[in-house]
Amino acid sequence: MDRHFDEELQKVKKNLLEMASLVDESITKALEALKNRDLKMASEVKEIDHRIDRFEIAIEDQCIELIARHQPVGTDLRFLIGVIKMNNDLERMGDHAVNITGSVAFLIEQPRIKPVSNIWSMVVEVKKMLNDSVKSFMNNDAEMAQQVCERDNVVDEMRDETMRILLTYMLEQPDKIGSAIPLLLVAKNLERIADLTTNICEDVIYIAQARVIKHHAEEQK
Amino acid sequence: MIVKTAHLNLYYGSFHALKDIDLSIKENLITGIIGPSGCGKSTLLRVFNRMNDLIQGVRITGAVLIDREDIHSPICDLILLRKKVGMVFQRPNAFPLSIFDNIAYGPRIWGITDKKTLRGIVERSLAAVDLFSVLKDRLKKSALSLSAEERQRLCIARLLAVEPEILLMDEPCSALDPIATGKIEELMLVLKQKYTIIIVTHNMQQAARIADEVGFMLLGELIEFDSAKKIFTNPSDKRTFDYISGRFG
Repeated sequence: MDRHFDEELQKVKKNLLEMASLVDESITKALEALKNRDLKMASEVKEIDHRIDRFEIAIEDQCIELIARHQPVGTDLRFLIGVIKMNNDLERMGDHAVNITGSVAFLIEQPRIKPVSNIWSMVVEVKKMLNDSVKSFMNNDAEMAQQVCERDNVVDEMRDETMRILLTYMLEQPDKIGSAIPLLLVAKNLERIADLTTNICEDVIYIAQARVIKHHAEEQK
Repeated sequence: MIVKTAHLNLYYGSFHALKDIDLSIKENLITGIIGPSGCGKSTLLRVFNRMNDLIQGVRITGAVLIDREDIHSPICDLILLRKKVGMVFQRPNAFPLSIFDNIAYGPRIWGITDKKTLRGIVERSLAAVDLFSVLKDRLKKSALSLSAEERQRLCIARLLAVEPEILLMDEPCSALDPIATGKIEELMLVLKQKYTIIIVTHNMQQAARIADEVGFMLLGELIEFDSAKKIFTNPSDKRTFDYISGRFG
Protein backbone atom coordinates (compact mmCIF):
# COMPACT_ATOMS: atom_id res chain seq x y z
CA MET A 1 0.00 0.00 0.00
CA ASP A 2 1.37 3.46 -0.91
CA ARG A 3 1.63 6.00 1.86
CA HIS A 4 -1.26 8.45 1.83
CA PHE A 5 1.28 11.06 2.96
CA ASP A 6 3.23 10.59 -0.30
CA GLU A 7 0.13 11.56 -2.25
CA GLU A 8 -0.12 14.72 -0.16
CA LEU A 9 3.54 15.55 -0.89
CA GLN A 10 2.89 15.03 -4.61
CA LYS A 11 0.00 17.52 -4.42
CA VAL A 12 2.36 20.09 -2.89
CA LYS A 13 4.92 19.45 -5.62
CA LYS A 14 2.27 19.79 -8.34
CA ASN A 15 1.11 23.13 -6.92
CA LEU A 16 4.65 24.46 -6.74
CA LEU A 17 5.29 23.46 -10.35
CA GLU A 18 2.08 25.20 -11.45
CA MET A 19 3.16 28.29 -9.56
CA ALA A 20 6.60 28.18 -11.21
CA SER A 21 4.95 27.98 -14.62
CA LEU A 22 2.92 31.12 -13.80
CA VAL A 23 6.10 32.89 -12.71
CA ASP A 24 7.73 31.97 -16.02
CA GLU A 25 4.69 33.31 -17.88
CA SER A 26 4.73 36.56 -15.89
CA ILE A 27 8.42 37.20 -16.61
CA THR A 28 7.93 36.50 -20.32
CA LYS A 29 4.92 38.83 -20.52
CA ALA A 30 6.63 41.53 -18.46
CA LEU A 31 9.52 41.65 -20.91
CA GLU A 32 7.24 41.58 -23.95
CA ALA A 33 5.28 44.46 -22.42
CA LEU A 34 8.55 46.33 -21.99
CA LYS A 35 9.80 45.60 -25.47
CA ASN A 36 6.52 46.57 -27.16
CA ARG A 37 5.56 49.28 -24.63
CA ASP A 38 2.29 47.41 -24.22
CA LEU A 39 0.24 48.60 -21.22
CA LYS A 40 -2.42 45.90 -21.70
CA MET A 41 0.15 43.18 -21.36
CA ALA A 42 1.64 44.97 -18.35
CA SER A 43 -1.73 44.77 -16.62
CA GLU A 44 -1.92 41.04 -17.47
CA VAL A 45 1.31 40.59 -15.52
CA LYS A 46 -0.38 42.14 -12.47
CA GLU A 47 -3.28 39.70 -12.86
CA ILE A 48 -0.86 36.77 -13.01
CA ASP A 49 0.87 38.11 -9.91
CA HIS A 50 -2.41 37.94 -7.97
CA ARG A 51 -2.68 34.26 -8.96
CA ILE A 52 0.92 33.68 -7.90
CA ASP A 53 0.14 35.29 -4.53
CA ARG A 54 -2.83 32.98 -4.05
CA PHE A 55 -0.63 29.97 -4.84
CA GLU A 56 1.92 31.17 -2.28
CA ILE A 57 -0.68 31.28 0.48
CA ALA A 58 -2.18 27.91 -0.50
CA ILE A 59 1.20 26.13 -0.68
CA GLU A 60 2.36 27.58 2.64
CA ASP A 61 -0.92 26.48 4.19
CA GLN A 62 -0.52 22.95 2.78
CA CYS A 63 3.05 22.68 4.13
CA ILE A 64 2.12 23.93 7.60
CA GLU A 65 -0.75 21.47 7.78
CA LEU A 66 1.43 18.54 6.68
CA ILE A 67 4.17 19.42 9.17
CA ALA A 68 1.65 19.80 12.00
CA ARG A 69 -0.22 16.60 11.20
CA HIS A 70 2.52 14.24 10.01
CA GLN A 71 5.64 15.31 11.89
CA PRO A 72 7.76 14.50 8.81
CA VAL A 73 11.40 13.50 9.16
CA GLY A 74 14.37 13.04 6.81
CA THR A 75 13.73 13.70 3.12
CA ASP A 76 10.05 14.46 3.75
CA LEU A 77 10.94 17.18 6.25
CA ARG A 78 13.63 18.62 3.99
CA PHE A 79 11.18 18.59 1.08
CA LEU A 80 8.55 20.60 2.97
CA ILE A 81 11.05 23.08 4.41
CA GLY A 82 12.61 23.46 0.93
CA VAL A 83 9.19 24.01 -0.65
CA ILE A 84 8.30 26.72 1.88
CA LYS A 85 11.49 28.58 0.93
CA MET A 86 11.08 28.07 -2.83
CA ASN A 87 7.48 29.21 -2.56
CA ASN A 88 8.68 32.47 -1.09
CA ASP A 89 11.37 32.84 -3.78
CA LEU A 90 8.89 32.24 -6.60
CA GLU A 91 6.49 34.79 -5.17
CA ARG A 92 9.31 37.36 -5.04
CA MET A 93 10.10 36.60 -8.71
CA GLY A 94 6.48 37.44 -9.55
CA ASP A 95 6.96 40.78 -7.78
CA HIS A 96 10.09 41.47 -9.83
CA ALA A 97 8.12 40.79 -13.02
CA VAL A 98 5.57 43.40 -11.86
CA ASN A 99 8.44 45.81 -11.10
CA ILE A 100 9.65 45.40 -14.67
CA THR A 101 6.22 46.35 -16.02
CA GLY A 102 6.30 49.42 -13.76
CA SER A 103 8.66 50.99 -16.28
CA VAL A 104 6.32 50.50 -19.24
CA ALA A 105 3.95 53.44 -18.57
CA PHE A 106 6.94 55.70 -18.01
CA LEU A 107 8.75 54.55 -21.15
CA ILE A 108 5.72 55.29 -23.39
CA GLU A 109 6.34 58.98 -22.77
CA GLN A 110 10.05 58.68 -23.59
CA PRO A 111 11.84 58.47 -26.95
CA ARG A 112 13.04 55.04 -27.95
CA ILE A 113 16.74 54.52 -27.43
CA LYS A 114 19.16 52.25 -29.19
CA PRO A 115 18.21 48.71 -28.07
CA VAL A 116 20.45 47.36 -25.34
CA SER A 117 21.15 43.90 -26.63
CA ASN A 118 22.67 42.86 -23.33
CA ILE A 119 19.32 43.11 -21.56
CA TRP A 120 17.76 40.69 -24.01
CA SER A 121 20.69 38.31 -23.60
CA MET A 122 20.16 38.54 -19.84
CA VAL A 123 16.50 37.71 -20.33
CA VAL A 124 17.39 34.55 -22.27
CA GLU A 125 19.89 33.44 -19.62
CA VAL A 126 17.64 34.20 -16.63
CA LYS A 127 14.68 32.37 -18.17
CA LYS A 128 16.88 29.38 -18.90
CA MET A 129 18.12 29.41 -15.30
CA LEU A 130 14.54 29.51 -14.04
CA ASN A 131 13.46 26.64 -16.30
CA ASP A 132 16.44 24.52 -15.32
CA SER A 133 15.94 25.20 -11.62
CA VAL A 134 12.33 24.05 -11.93
CA LYS A 135 13.45 20.96 -13.86
CA SER A 136 16.03 20.16 -11.17
CA PHE A 137 13.29 20.39 -8.52
CA MET A 138 10.92 18.28 -10.60
CA ASN A 139 13.54 15.54 -11.04
CA ASN A 140 15.21 15.96 -7.65
CA ASP A 141 18.42 16.49 -9.61
CA ALA A 142 21.13 18.02 -7.40
CA GLU A 143 23.74 17.94 -10.16
CA MET A 144 21.63 20.06 -12.48
CA ALA A 145 20.82 22.42 -9.60
CA GLN A 146 24.55 22.85 -8.92
CA GLN A 147 25.16 23.77 -12.56
CA VAL A 148 22.41 26.42 -12.46
CA CYS A 149 23.97 27.97 -9.32
CA GLU A 150 27.27 28.32 -11.15
CA ARG A 151 25.57 30.24 -13.97
CA ASP A 152 24.56 33.05 -11.59
CA ASN A 153 27.98 34.66 -12.09
CA VAL A 154 27.30 34.91 -15.83
CA VAL A 155 24.14 36.92 -15.14
CA ASP A 156 25.98 39.13 -12.64
CA GLU A 157 28.57 39.91 -15.30
CA MET A 158 25.85 40.66 -17.84
CA ARG A 159 24.20 43.01 -15.36
CA ASP A 160 27.50 44.84 -14.73
CA GLU A 161 28.13 45.15 -18.43
CA THR A 162 24.60 46.45 -19.06
CA MET A 163 25.09 49.02 -16.29
CA ARG A 164 28.36 50.17 -17.88
CA ILE A 165 26.79 50.49 -21.32
CA LEU A 166 23.78 52.40 -20.02
CA LEU A 167 25.86 54.73 -17.86
CA THR A 168 28.10 55.57 -20.78
CA TYR A 169 25.02 56.10 -22.93
CA MET A 170 23.52 58.49 -20.35
CA LEU A 171 26.77 60.43 -20.05
CA GLU A 172 26.96 60.81 -23.79
CA GLN A 173 23.27 61.66 -24.25
CA PRO A 174 21.84 63.21 -21.08
CA ASP A 175 18.52 63.93 -22.84
CA LYS A 176 17.94 60.15 -23.01
CA ILE A 177 18.44 59.55 -19.26
CA GLY A 178 14.65 59.17 -18.84
CA SER A 179 14.70 56.27 -21.31
CA ALA A 180 17.80 54.62 -19.92
CA ILE A 181 17.04 54.58 -16.18
CA PRO A 182 14.08 52.18 -16.50
CA LEU A 183 16.39 49.79 -18.32
CA LEU A 184 18.87 49.96 -15.45
CA LEU A 185 16.03 48.92 -13.14
CA VAL A 186 15.07 46.10 -15.50
CA ALA A 187 18.64 44.78 -15.39
CA LYS A 188 18.58 44.96 -11.60
CA ASN A 189 15.26 43.06 -11.45
CA LEU A 190 16.55 40.39 -13.83
CA GLU A 191 19.66 39.95 -11.73
CA ARG A 192 17.49 39.52 -8.60
CA ILE A 193 15.38 36.88 -10.40
CA ALA A 194 18.60 35.01 -11.20
CA ASP A 195 19.61 35.22 -7.50
CA LEU A 196 16.25 33.80 -6.46
CA THR A 197 16.66 31.02 -9.03
CA THR A 198 19.96 30.20 -7.36
CA ASN A 199 18.17 30.04 -3.99
CA ILE A 200 15.76 27.50 -5.48
CA CYS A 201 18.66 25.37 -6.67
CA GLU A 202 20.29 25.52 -3.23
CA ASP A 203 17.04 24.20 -1.79
CA VAL A 204 16.92 21.42 -4.41
CA ILE A 205 20.42 20.34 -3.32
CA TYR A 206 19.33 20.49 0.33
CA ILE A 207 16.27 18.34 -0.40
CA ALA A 208 18.16 15.79 -2.52
CA GLN A 209 21.41 15.49 -0.57
CA ALA A 210 20.89 17.27 2.79
CA ARG A 211 23.81 19.56 1.85
CA VAL A 212 23.76 23.27 2.67
CA ILE A 213 25.73 25.09 -0.02
CA LYS A 214 24.50 28.64 0.54
CA HIS A 215 26.91 31.20 2.00
CA HIS A 216 29.74 28.74 1.21
CA ALA A 217 28.67 26.79 4.29
CA GLU A 218 30.50 23.63 3.21
CA GLU A 219 33.81 25.42 2.63
CA GLN A 220 33.64 26.99 6.10
CA LYS A 221 33.28 23.62 7.83
CA MET B 1 -24.73 13.84 9.52
CA ILE B 2 -24.68 10.12 10.13
CA VAL B 3 -24.25 10.38 13.91
CA LYS B 4 -25.59 13.17 16.07
CA THR B 5 -25.75 13.61 19.80
CA ALA B 6 -27.62 16.33 21.66
CA HIS B 7 -27.18 17.07 25.37
CA LEU B 8 -25.78 13.58 25.86
CA ASN B 9 -25.01 12.76 29.48
CA LEU B 10 -23.86 9.42 30.83
CA TYR B 11 -23.56 8.36 34.44
CA TYR B 12 -21.86 5.30 35.92
CA GLY B 13 -23.90 5.25 39.14
CA SER B 14 -23.20 8.67 40.64
CA PHE B 15 -20.14 9.32 38.44
CA HIS B 16 -20.89 11.77 35.65
CA ALA B 17 -18.77 10.34 32.82
CA LEU B 18 -20.09 12.27 29.80
CA LYS B 19 -21.26 15.83 30.22
CA ASP B 20 -23.70 17.45 27.85
CA ILE B 21 -22.06 16.29 24.63
CA ASP B 22 -23.29 17.82 21.38
CA LEU B 23 -21.58 16.20 18.44
CA SER B 24 -22.18 15.79 14.71
CA ILE B 25 -20.23 13.19 12.77
CA LYS B 26 -20.19 13.31 8.99
CA GLU B 27 -20.41 10.34 6.64
CA ASN B 28 -17.29 8.87 5.01
CA LEU B 29 -14.88 10.77 7.19
CA ILE B 30 -12.50 9.61 9.88
CA THR B 31 -13.43 11.29 13.14
CA GLY B 32 -10.81 11.06 15.86
CA ILE B 33 -11.58 11.41 19.54
CA ILE B 34 -8.55 12.35 21.62
CA GLY B 35 -7.98 13.20 25.25
CA PRO B 36 -6.13 12.02 28.35
CA SER B 37 -6.93 8.73 30.11
CA GLY B 38 -10.28 8.71 31.84
CA CYS B 39 -11.67 11.66 29.86
CA GLY B 40 -14.59 9.57 28.58
CA LYS B 41 -13.54 9.01 24.98
CA SER B 42 -14.02 5.21 25.03
CA THR B 43 -17.28 5.65 26.92
CA LEU B 44 -18.46 8.01 24.18
CA LEU B 45 -17.47 5.52 21.48
CA ARG B 46 -19.36 2.73 23.23
CA VAL B 47 -22.50 4.89 23.28
CA PHE B 48 -22.77 4.62 19.50
CA ASN B 49 -23.50 0.88 19.47
CA ARG B 50 -24.91 0.78 22.98
CA MET B 51 -22.07 -1.29 24.38
CA ASN B 52 -22.47 0.63 27.62
CA ASP B 53 -25.81 -1.15 28.11
CA LEU B 54 -23.79 -4.13 29.29
CA ILE B 55 -22.40 -2.16 32.24
CA GLN B 56 -24.44 -2.17 35.41
CA GLY B 57 -25.67 1.15 36.76
CA VAL B 58 -25.30 3.09 33.52
CA ARG B 59 -27.78 5.89 32.94
CA ILE B 60 -27.94 7.94 29.77
CA THR B 61 -29.86 11.14 29.07
CA GLY B 62 -30.07 13.18 25.89
CA ALA B 63 -30.34 12.03 22.31
CA VAL B 64 -28.12 9.87 20.13
CA LEU B 65 -29.25 9.69 16.52
CA ILE B 66 -27.77 7.40 13.90
CA ASP B 67 -29.17 7.89 10.41
CA ARG B 68 -31.73 10.14 12.13
CA GLU B 69 -33.01 7.30 14.33
CA ASP B 70 -32.85 7.53 18.10
CA ILE B 71 -30.78 4.52 19.16
CA HIS B 72 -32.29 4.57 22.65
CA SER B 73 -35.85 4.42 21.37
CA PRO B 74 -37.74 1.30 22.50
CA ILE B 75 -38.24 0.32 18.85
CA CYS B 76 -34.52 0.36 18.06
CA ASP B 77 -33.36 -3.16 17.13
CA LEU B 78 -30.14 -3.62 19.10
CA ILE B 79 -28.86 -6.45 16.91
CA LEU B 80 -29.42 -4.42 13.75
CA LEU B 81 -27.75 -1.44 15.40
CA ARG B 82 -24.65 -3.48 16.17
CA LYS B 83 -24.61 -4.80 12.62
CA LYS B 84 -24.74 -1.26 11.30
CA VAL B 85 -22.23 0.05 13.84
CA GLY B 86 -19.33 -2.39 14.25
CA MET B 87 -16.47 -2.14 16.67
CA VAL B 88 -12.73 -2.90 16.54
CA PHE B 89 -11.01 -3.24 19.87
CA GLN B 90 -7.57 -2.53 21.24
CA ARG B 91 -6.42 -6.13 21.15
CA PRO B 92 -6.99 -8.04 17.92
CA ASN B 93 -9.58 -10.47 19.26
CA ALA B 94 -9.65 -13.17 16.59
CA PHE B 95 -11.89 -16.12 17.50
CA PRO B 96 -10.10 -19.46 18.01
CA LEU B 97 -11.48 -20.63 14.67
CA SER B 98 -10.14 -20.84 11.15
CA ILE B 99 -9.55 -17.64 9.19
CA PHE B 100 -12.55 -18.51 6.99
CA ASP B 101 -14.86 -19.17 9.95
CA ASN B 102 -13.85 -15.94 11.65
CA ILE B 103 -15.08 -13.95 8.67
CA ALA B 104 -18.10 -16.17 8.00
CA TYR B 105 -19.17 -15.99 11.66
CA GLY B 106 -21.32 -12.85 11.32
CA PRO B 107 -22.97 -13.70 7.99
CA ARG B 108 -23.88 -17.19 9.34
CA ILE B 109 -25.58 -15.57 12.34
CA TRP B 110 -27.54 -13.51 9.80
CA GLY B 111 -28.71 -16.75 8.19
CA ILE B 112 -26.37 -17.07 5.24
CA THR B 113 -25.45 -20.72 4.83
CA ASP B 114 -24.82 -21.09 1.11
CA LYS B 115 -21.14 -22.01 0.76
CA LYS B 116 -20.60 -20.13 -2.47
CA THR B 117 -22.14 -16.96 -1.01
CA LEU B 118 -20.09 -17.31 2.15
CA ARG B 119 -16.95 -17.87 0.13
CA GLY B 120 -17.68 -14.67 -1.83
CA ILE B 121 -18.18 -12.70 1.39
CA VAL B 122 -14.94 -14.04 2.89
CA GLU B 123 -13.02 -13.19 -0.28
CA ARG B 124 -14.44 -9.68 -0.54
CA SER B 125 -13.96 -8.92 3.15
CA LEU B 126 -10.36 -10.13 3.21
CA ALA B 127 -9.63 -8.31 -0.04
CA ALA B 128 -10.99 -5.08 1.46
CA VAL B 129 -8.34 -5.24 4.16
CA ASP B 130 -5.64 -6.29 1.69
CA LEU B 131 -5.33 -9.78 3.18
CA PHE B 132 -6.89 -12.05 0.60
CA SER B 133 -3.86 -12.41 -1.64
CA VAL B 134 -1.74 -13.28 1.39
CA LEU B 135 -4.16 -15.70 3.04
CA LYS B 136 -6.08 -17.26 0.16
CA ASP B 137 -4.22 -20.56 0.51
CA ARG B 138 -4.45 -20.62 4.30
CA LEU B 139 -8.13 -19.96 4.91
CA LYS B 140 -8.53 -23.17 6.88
CA LYS B 141 -5.64 -22.37 9.20
CA SER B 142 -6.32 -21.05 12.68
CA ALA B 143 -6.70 -17.26 12.87
CA LEU B 144 -4.58 -17.37 15.99
CA SER B 145 -1.55 -18.25 13.85
CA LEU B 146 -1.58 -14.78 12.26
CA SER B 147 0.62 -11.85 13.30
CA ALA B 148 -0.92 -9.15 15.50
CA GLU B 149 -1.32 -6.82 12.55
CA GLU B 150 -2.91 -9.52 10.39
CA ARG B 151 -5.26 -10.43 13.24
CA GLN B 152 -6.32 -6.79 13.57
CA ARG B 153 -6.94 -6.67 9.81
CA LEU B 154 -8.90 -9.92 10.14
CA CYS B 155 -11.04 -8.37 12.88
CA ILE B 156 -11.78 -5.43 10.59
CA ALA B 157 -12.61 -7.85 7.75
CA ARG B 158 -14.95 -9.71 10.14
CA LEU B 159 -16.85 -6.46 10.68
CA LEU B 160 -17.02 -5.70 6.96
CA ALA B 161 -18.53 -9.14 6.32
CA VAL B 162 -21.82 -8.02 7.89
CA GLU B 163 -21.87 -4.80 5.83
CA PRO B 164 -21.78 -2.11 8.50
CA GLU B 165 -22.02 1.63 7.85
CA ILE B 166 -19.97 2.84 10.77
CA LEU B 167 -16.73 1.42 12.15
CA LEU B 168 -15.89 2.26 15.76
CA MET B 169 -12.23 1.79 16.55
CA ASP B 170 -11.07 1.85 20.14
CA GLU B 171 -7.28 2.29 20.17
CA PRO B 172 -6.98 -0.17 17.25
CA CYS B 173 -3.20 0.18 16.98
CA SER B 174 -2.15 0.33 20.61
CA ALA B 175 -1.05 -3.33 20.57
CA LEU B 176 0.82 -2.97 17.28
CA ASP B 177 4.36 -1.90 16.41
CA PRO B 178 4.93 1.28 14.33
CA ILE B 179 5.13 -0.57 10.98
CA ALA B 180 1.89 -2.46 11.62
CA THR B 181 0.31 0.77 12.90
CA GLY B 182 1.24 2.50 9.63
CA LYS B 183 -0.39 -0.29 7.63
CA ILE B 184 -3.62 -0.15 9.64
CA GLU B 185 -3.70 3.63 9.26
CA GLU B 186 -3.34 3.33 5.48
CA LEU B 187 -6.15 0.76 5.54
CA MET B 188 -8.40 3.18 7.43
CA LEU B 189 -7.76 5.86 4.80
CA VAL B 190 -8.91 3.40 2.12
CA LEU B 191 -11.92 2.19 4.12
CA LYS B 192 -13.27 5.68 4.74
CA GLN B 193 -14.29 5.86 1.10
CA LYS B 194 -17.04 3.34 1.93
CA TYR B 195 -17.48 3.60 5.68
CA THR B 196 -17.69 6.21 8.39
CA ILE B 197 -14.91 5.70 10.91
CA ILE B 198 -14.83 6.94 14.49
CA ILE B 199 -11.53 6.27 16.21
CA VAL B 200 -10.54 6.77 19.81
CA THR B 201 -6.83 7.13 20.21
CA HIS B 202 -4.33 7.97 22.87
CA ASN B 203 -1.85 8.66 20.14
CA MET B 204 -2.65 12.17 19.00
CA GLN B 205 -0.09 11.94 16.19
CA GLN B 206 -2.25 9.16 14.83
CA ALA B 207 -5.34 11.38 14.97
CA ALA B 208 -3.32 14.16 13.31
CA ARG B 209 -2.22 11.84 10.51
CA ILE B 210 -5.48 10.20 9.59
CA ALA B 211 -8.49 12.03 11.03
CA ASP B 212 -10.53 14.51 9.03
CA GLU B 213 -12.25 15.87 12.11
CA VAL B 214 -11.14 15.66 15.72
CA GLY B 215 -12.86 16.03 19.07
CA PHE B 216 -10.83 16.79 22.18
CA MET B 217 -12.32 15.53 25.45
CA LEU B 218 -11.39 16.38 29.01
CA LEU B 219 -13.07 15.20 32.22
CA GLY B 220 -16.16 14.03 30.36
CA GLU B 221 -16.61 17.22 28.36
CA LEU B 222 -16.16 17.69 24.64
CA ILE B 223 -13.91 20.73 24.78
CA GLU B 224 -13.47 21.29 21.07
CA PHE B 225 -14.57 19.65 17.84
CA ASP B 226 -13.22 20.83 14.51
CA SER B 227 -11.29 19.85 11.40
CA ALA B 228 -8.00 18.09 12.15
CA LYS B 229 -6.21 20.92 10.38
CA LYS B 230 -7.73 23.52 12.72
CA ILE B 231 -7.20 21.44 15.86
CA PHE B 232 -3.53 20.77 15.08
CA THR B 233 -2.55 24.17 13.70
CA ASN B 234 -4.75 26.63 15.54
CA PRO B 235 -7.04 25.15 18.22
CA SER B 236 -9.62 27.51 19.66
CA ASP B 237 -9.39 26.38 23.26
CA LYS B 238 -6.23 26.75 25.34
CA ARG B 239 -6.86 23.35 26.96
CA THR B 240 -6.75 21.70 23.53
CA PHE B 241 -3.49 23.45 22.73
CA ASP B 242 -2.00 22.45 26.10
CA TYR B 243 -2.92 18.82 25.45
CA ILE B 244 -1.74 18.55 21.85
CA SER B 245 1.51 20.34 22.67
CA GLY B 246 2.22 17.86 25.48
CA ARG B 247 1.81 20.37 28.32
CA PHE B 248 -0.46 17.94 30.11
CA GLY B 249 -2.01 14.52 29.64
